[in-house]
This record gives sequence, C-alpha cells and structure tokens, in this order.
Amino acid sequence: MSSPAEPRRPRWLRLEGPFVLGLPAILFLMLLFVGPVLRLMLMSVEGGSLAAYEKALTDGLYLRVFLDTFEIAAIVTVACALLGYPVAYVLTTLSRGWAALGFACIMIPMLTSVLVRTYAWMVLLGRSGIINRTLMDWGLTDRPLALMYNLPSVIVAMAHVLLPMFILPVYSVMVRVDRELLRAADGLGASGWQTFTRVYLPLTWPGVLAGATLVFIISLGFYITPALLGGGRIVMIANVIENQVQALLDWRFASALSVVLLVATLAVQAASNRVQAPRG
Amino acid sequence: MTESKRISRRDAGRWIAGLSLTAAMISGGSRAQEPPKPRQIVVNASIGDTLVATRKVYYAEFERLYGIKVVESGPVSLAKLRAMVESGNIEWTISEVGGEDAIRAEKLGLFEPIDRKIVDMDALPGAVGQRKVTLARGIYSTTLAYRKDAFKNGKYPQSWVDFWDVKNFPGPRSLRGRAIDTLEFALQADGVPVDKLYPLDLDRAFRKLDEIKPHIAVWWTTGQQPAQLLIDREVVMTSGWNGRFYKLQRDPASGIDTAWTGSMVKIGTFGVVKGTPHAYWGQKMLAVMNDPKLQAAYAEQVGYPGTHPKSWDYVRAESHRYFPTSPVNLPKVGWTNDEWWAANGGAVEERFARWLLAR
Repeated sequence: MSSPAEPRRPRWLRLEGPFVLGLPAILFLMLLFVGPVLRLMLMSVEGGSLAAYEKALTDGLYLRVFLDTFEIAAIVTVACALLGYPVAYVLTTLSRGWAALGFACIMIPMLTSVLVRTYAWMVLLGRSGIINRTLMDWGLTDRPLALMYNLPSVIVAMAHVLLPMFILPVYSVMVRVDRELLRAADGLGASGWQTFTRVYLPLTWPGVLAGATLVFIISLGFYITPALLGGGRIVMIANVIENQVQALLDWRFASALSVVLLVATLAVQAASNRVQAPRG
Repeated sequence: MTESKRISRRDAGRWIAGLSLTAAMISGGSRAQEPPKPRQIVVNASIGDTLVATRKVYYAEFERLYGIKVVESGPVSLAKLRAMVESGNIEWTISEVGGEDAIRAEKLGLFEPIDRKIVDMDALPGAVGQRKVTLARGIYSTTLAYRKDAFKNGKYPQSWVDFWDVKNFPGPRSLRGRAIDTLEFALQADGVPVDKLYPLDLDRAFRKLDEIKPHIAVWWTTGQQPAQLLIDREVVMTSGWNGRFYKLQRDPASGIDTAWTGSMVKIGTFGVVKGTPHAYWGQKMLAVMNDPKLQAAYAEQVGYPGTHPKSWDYVRAESHRYFPTSPVNLPKVGWTNDEWWAANGGAVEERFARWLLAR
C-alpha cells in the first residue's frame, strides 16, 4: 500500500513524532527525579544490609508514626470529600459570572504558600487568637481554649490546604454529567435521594476517587503543617525523615523510611486505580 | 568633557592605590605569597538577627581589610555541609556548626585544619584553644525565659526546679522537642547540681520529664518559636536560645525576662569547609572572627558573647547581666558536654522521640 518513495518504517520509528516532543520532559524527569530516587534507594541499602528496612518496618515507634500518618491522611481525605463535594456541585449550577467568582475563591488560596496558610491558622486558633478572644468577649468561656497544638488543628489546616485538590477533579467530572439523566430519573419516579445515590453519585464517582486519591497522597507527605500546628506531639512520617536527615545524620535510615513511604504511596495509587464505581 | 576628565582622575587614583598595594606586598615578604584573591567567599551561618549583626561586625571588617566580598548563606545545617563535602560540590568557604556538631563535623572530616599561624588559637582558654579544625567563635545558651505578667507579686521562676513547680508557677510551658537541651533541665529539676550532670542519668531524667509532660503545650522545634510563644501568650515560660530573648529582655515594655540559673552553655563554632578553593581566605575570616573587639561588638548586638577572654574588656558593664558567660552569670550556668552528646546523641534522641510520642 505504501508508495515506494516512503519505505516502511518500524513501529517505534513511526512513533518518533510524539516521542521527540515528549523527550525534553522525559529527560528532565529522568535526570532530576528518577535519578535521585534511585540514588535514595541505593543509599537505603548501603553496605548491602537491609537493617534500615528491618528497623523501619518492625520498630514500634516508626510503625506508630506510619499508622498515624495514614490515619491523618484518611481523616483529611474524608473531611475534604464531605466539604468539597457539595461545593463542586454548587459550582456546576452557578451562572458563568458567579462560577468565576467561586473559582477565584478556591484558586487564590491554592496558589498561596502552605506556610502562609498554616500561619494564618495559628493567628486564628492561638490562645490569644481571634477565635479565643471572640469567645471570651462574648463570655462563652473565661479562659482560652487549647485550640492549637493538637490533632484537630492539624486536620483542620490540612483539609483547608487540600480542599481545592478535591474540588477541582470532582467539578471537572460533574460538569460533564448530562442533566437530562437526572430529569429522567425524576420523571421515572425516583426520589431526590435515589437520584443522587443511584444516578448522580455513580456518574461523578471517578472524580471523587481522583480527588480523594490526590488528597490522600499529598497528605501522606505533609511536613510543615504538622510541624507548626502539631506542637511536637503530632508527628507525621515526613517530620521523622527530616529529623533523621538533619539532626541525626542517619541518611541510610532516612532513605529507607522514604522508600517505604514511596511504596505505600504507589500502593494507594494502584489500589485507587482498581476500585470500581459503585453500581446503582 | 568634564565627565571624561573625572573618570580619568579616578582611574589615576586607582593606579596609585594599586601601585602602593603592590609595593606593600613586595616589601611585606610573607604577604607576597598570598594566594590570589577571589572575587568573593561564601560564609554559611545562622540566619535572623544574628546574620544582620554578623554582616555588620565581621563581614564588613573582612571586606574592608581584604576587598573580598562576603556572600551570606544560611541556615546552619550539618546535613547540607556533609552532602557538600561528600559530593565534592563545595559552595561554602566557611561554615558555622552548632554545639556538639563541631565534634561530629571533625569526625566526619568536613573541615580543613585550622592554620594556627593565621588564627590566634593560643589566645583561647582551655580545650577550645586546642581544637584542631574548628574555631570557637561565640557562646550561646539554652535558657529559661518567662512572661512577667503571668506571675503575681513579682515572684518569677528562677530555676528549672521552679519550671517543674506547676503549683506555684501555673500555666502552659514549652520545651525543646529534642533530648539535648531538655534532659539536662529535667535532671536539674530533680536536684542534680549543674556541674554534676554528666554522664546523664537517663532513667531519672525521663521519670522527671513524665511529671512535666502534661504541662508542655508545645515542644518547640525551631529557634524562633520560643520567643514567639511568649509574645503570643501561648506559654508562660519556655526554654530557648538566649539570643532570641536578648532584644526582648533589654526592652522593659516586652514583659519578658530570663533566669540564668541552670542555663546550658554551648559553643558556636566555625570551620573552613574541606576542599574549598579559598581555604586561605577562609582562615583569614576565622582570624577576623577571633578578634576580641569585634566579638564584644557582636555580643552587644545579639546577646551571644565571644570566646576570646579579652572580649570582656570591651563589653559595657551594664550589659553583663544579659550574657550567659559574663562574670556575673558564669557561676550560675552549666556547660553542655559536647563529647557526651556526640557519642550518645543518636540513641538518646531516639528514646526521647519514643517517649514524646507515647500516649
């Protein structure tokens, strides 16, 4: 079929166009991401010993921190889902102008540094912070409440930081849902709740899953918010890794902890890819 | 016309300066062997108020003396220093390291030996004068600081025994989220004299820490936290590096003061980074940092006194009460045992982390 002027080329060469276009990004990632990660993995088995992994996976202290990290990430994910799903839905119902305003309210905080947003929570939650002062002015409490330096404050601040990461993927799925389907369900006699659980939720589920996966995975690596709002008692795995690198100079163990975190993150990603949408 | 004239006159001035400098170098004998001057050297040191003072006092003097620009870098990080030396990609000419890290840095071979012909090490007292690779430039201490308005009748906490006394001195507190700077205070609260702390009795220290744990609102992790916690009224007293309270305690309006009894003193050190191409000029910078007059000027600005015994001749008498090792405060403080921490730090810090996370 091919003309004699254009000899048959092997398959991989026919892909050359897209491949060449992607080459800079691929090289960039290989050089600056894959390379260092491989070095990290090598460092974790320095001296041909798996002792660092044995310690990371059997020592109660580090297991505790891993479990706490997963627990915090899970709570933050659920909080983002409960808060973000209705917001994403409301955004789909707004007129163009109001939706733009709504997106600005979501995007501007997202583009603000995590450090600044964490400090903002410290101003709100502190013993002489805005919330405590208001409560005392209104006579609702006579001494400042301990709102900060505990688990709830870390979760509130993390959920605030990560909320846009949930809203955006969910929104992108919701706008593609055909409204006629909801009207059809209504016309066939389904209640509002049934329409939601049997039509709308299954149709938007891929967005929920994508948003939840994103929030969960980013939560796993959170460092600055627990460091500032946790008061030293709420410790996530990134804080432990930092301490091993900076204070204790045990880079082999820090690498092992990092690799365990990486594997756990990939496992979460893989699991989320396999989860099917619930059937109505 | 006038413009070009002015320039040529300035050029002439430079020529004359250059000639006289050359003449000085030739006549100076040993100075003629100086390695060529780089355009700049990089000094890695603590950031914040101390950096402003370091620039004003030491870097300005170095630039004035040698005409080499000093580029600032920070914060202090033994991990980064080690990564730099091990990778052979040396960005810093000299670097600060804190307390017990001086010994670890020496063991890891991260510093060039001190050139005693350039740096007057003999002027320094005792063991610090014998150090091989690090210059002990300044003193800092971890000290008890408190809010005066949190306590009635002018009865303020005066020691670590008072820090542990939650009946007479109620209110939330803060301590460092590390074993170092914390275990020593627990032992003092339990009655161990400040000069008999080492080797630390760990079981006893952790038992005493159990007592205070419910009253610690925040375990601080960065140096700027303690002063901020006091200012924000998050805690009524805390441990912290004394320089962080220095400006506050000199300002009566701040309502914040320190108690020197039982402060743990450490030495802030600088070394010439192994493999730097400008080692000679790094040594020259160490010599500038060892100048007692400059050390006194630096102390007045940030509250961290010098190590050179003569530096006290230049510190104003009314400032003495703000420095951990001034003649008035020296009898009250203890010295952190860097060797003990360098040898035991890893295991002890891990035990502390375990203790801190236990519910």
